[in-house]
Amino acid sequence: MLDLERRRMSLYLILSLAALLVSGCVGARMGVSWPSVGLVEINGEQNIALAYNNDVALLNPANGAPLRLVNPLNGAALLDKDNNPRSWILRGSDFGGAQFYSLPIVVDEETMLVTANSGSLWKVDPVLVDVPRMIPLDDKVVADSLVVEDIIYIPYQNGGLSARSMLDYREIWRFPTEEGIWAKPLLAADMIIASSVDHHLYALDRSSGQLIWSLDLGGSVASTPLLANDRLYVGSFNKSFFEISLDGEILNSYATQNWVWGTPAMDANGIIYLADLSGYVHALDSENYLQPLWSNQIAERGIRAGPIVYQDRVIVASRDGRVYWLDRRDGVLINSREIDNLPELLGDMLFLEPSDSLKIDVPLLLVSSVDEGRLLIAFEVDGRQTWVYPR
Amino acid sequence: MWDLILNPFVSILAWLYAALNQDIVLAIVVLTVIIRFLTYPLLAKQQESSRKMQQIQPQLKKLQEKYKNDKEKMSQAQMKLYRENKVNPVGGCFPMVIQFPILIGLYQAIFFALAATPFQLVDLSERLLIPGLDSLIPLQRMWTPIPQLAEFLPALDLTLAPTENPHYSLLLPLLVLITTWAQQKLTMMTTKQKSEKSDDDDEDEKPRGGQTQIMQSMTTIMPIMFGFFSLSFSVGLSIYFVASNLIGIVQYSPQGRSVLDKLFRKKQTDDAPVEIVLEDDEPVKKTRKRRKKKPRKK
Repeated sequence: MLDLERRRMSLYLILSLAALLVSGCVGARMGVSWPSVGLVEINGEQNIALAYNNDVALLNPANGAPLRLVNPLNGAALLDKDNNPRSWILRGSDFGGAQFYSLPIVVDEETMLVTANSGSLWKVDPVLVDVPRMIPLDDKVVADSLVVEDIIYIPYQNGGLSARSMLDYREIWRFPTEEGIWAKPLLAADMIIASSVDHHLYALDRSSGQLIWSLDLGGSVASTPLLANDRLYVGSFNKSFFEISLDGEILNSYATQNWVWGTPAMDANGIIYLADLSGYVHALDSENYLQPLWSNQIAERGIRAGPIVYQDRVIVASRDGRVYWLDRRDGVLINSREIDNLPELLGDMLFLEPSDSLKIDVPLLLVSSVDEGRLLIAFEVDGRQTWVYPR
Repeated sequence: MWDLILNPFVSILAWLYAALNQDIVLAIVVLTVIIRFLTYPLLAKQQESSRKMQQIQPQLKKLQEKYKNDKEKMSQAQMKLYRENKVNPVGGCFPMVIQFPILIGLYQAIFFALAATPFQLVDLSERLLIPGLDSLIPLQRMWTPIPQLAEFLPALDLTLAPTENPHYSLLLPLLVLITTWAQQKLTMMTTKQKSEKSDDDDEDEKPRGGQTQIMQSMTTIMPIMFGFFSLSFSVGLSIYFVASNLIGIVQYSPQGRSVLDKLFRKKQTDDAPVEIVLEDDEPVKKTRKRRKKKPRKK
């Protein structure tokens, strides 16, 4: 047997193995979704909630540190088995393994609800971060749930919207969809509006789940519509943005450069700002048939999340790992900040105004990334970075 | 850089999906056929190089024995032998190296096109190069193998592994295993046949024992490996493996090869290897001769 032939055979075997490993790893390195960021109120104080992959964490808005758990009776810090202070982090791995892409919902001082991507609704004790009960669901969940009065509306990743009682968590009704619902449902004029990847926008009776109307938008709809002036504003993967009346009629539309995924923002003058997955930001006049005021390509890669409007600025975060500040009047770039390692910025941004309950004295812009080393980055309005979680 | 290969595949797959009545399985099969067909010249070149290498094995072995104490001379003699027989010792590797990114690209294209989560779908938004495909997203990922028997064979989710699908989908890893084995076996037989066809029955000129052993172990290892991977990979990729293997079987079969060789105008060369004159040897005239075939030993 000659060395050369043996080497060639070995090379073939190694290449085959490498091919399989490389290809197999494609799935492994891609997550399911991006972080969900919002505010939750516990004991009269507002905290930042961050749900991503294995953890749900509650953070102090002032410095981004996880909240410390304290004994409600004497206020003493709760310690773990190594005598270290316990932080408010709900780890899926501590409870049989689960992933989280939806914000927790505070029911009362003793109950918090968290939907897990493993297909269950967790009843969480917010004081001890314990899980006394898990309610099985029929599907995975990647979007935030909506609570209206005593009903929780849970959108399913692979299709369907489930309405459950907040008292006993039993299903009251379920509305089936052909594909998943990847955005938080919206309450509008006593209807539940659900966007689906199956190209439709559905309006349902919130008590019975009966379909009131549905609208085919020609492409997947993956964002929560903006409700303003009794109209719905939403984009689709058909490179279009729509103005829709509350009785399900398309009033106006606007062609974008690529898919629109984020919820748009509207300023006090009725100007709508939206971004698309080609890195374009558009400003449209909602009082003038969605006439474009400006449309500029800002980022090298797509912008998934909706813009934030603050004073005379429009702020967007891109998959290219940068945050951009634009002039609201003409869309001209004023400022940009690069996140270390340029992680994809896919999660919705959050803007915090100073308040006593938040314990911050300057406005903060929170940007989430899919980099486990810097999941949440806080900026001041001038673009100065104030803190990063985790540190 | 990798996207230069991947994105066209993703786009063509989505386009085929649209053209083939939104049947993703048919689109995967057709794209696999097209890619395997277009890469056939590379495969043929690789096989040809392998055949030539086998033909000169006996002479190489003689050289190794003769110059076992003089590496420099052996190297010179080897180079001369390669030159005279127009054999590039790494010539078989180049087509293989070219084929691999294409096959991996195709494999990954299926993964990306069948996006089933927000992260996968946001990624897909930058990969569709053909206008008008956006309205097809997401591609239909549920597949009923036999619609008439949908009651007994419920639809499979092509993005999930067989273990997360109805039980009968576990047949797919088995199919992957069987078709990979059949393709490997046919490859081995083809190489052996070619070698026997062009050589006489001299013991030295049969495929080498070590080589045969490696080929045999590959025939065992590769199917098990692919079958095992298919258990954890998505059903869509298992369908690609099966389709690719079946096409490979056709390509390696004598009838298939004959058709493909005609299509690609490839000449069949069964010339015996050129022998070389070595120093210290009795001079032998360099000729491209066809040696007599000895009767097979029974």
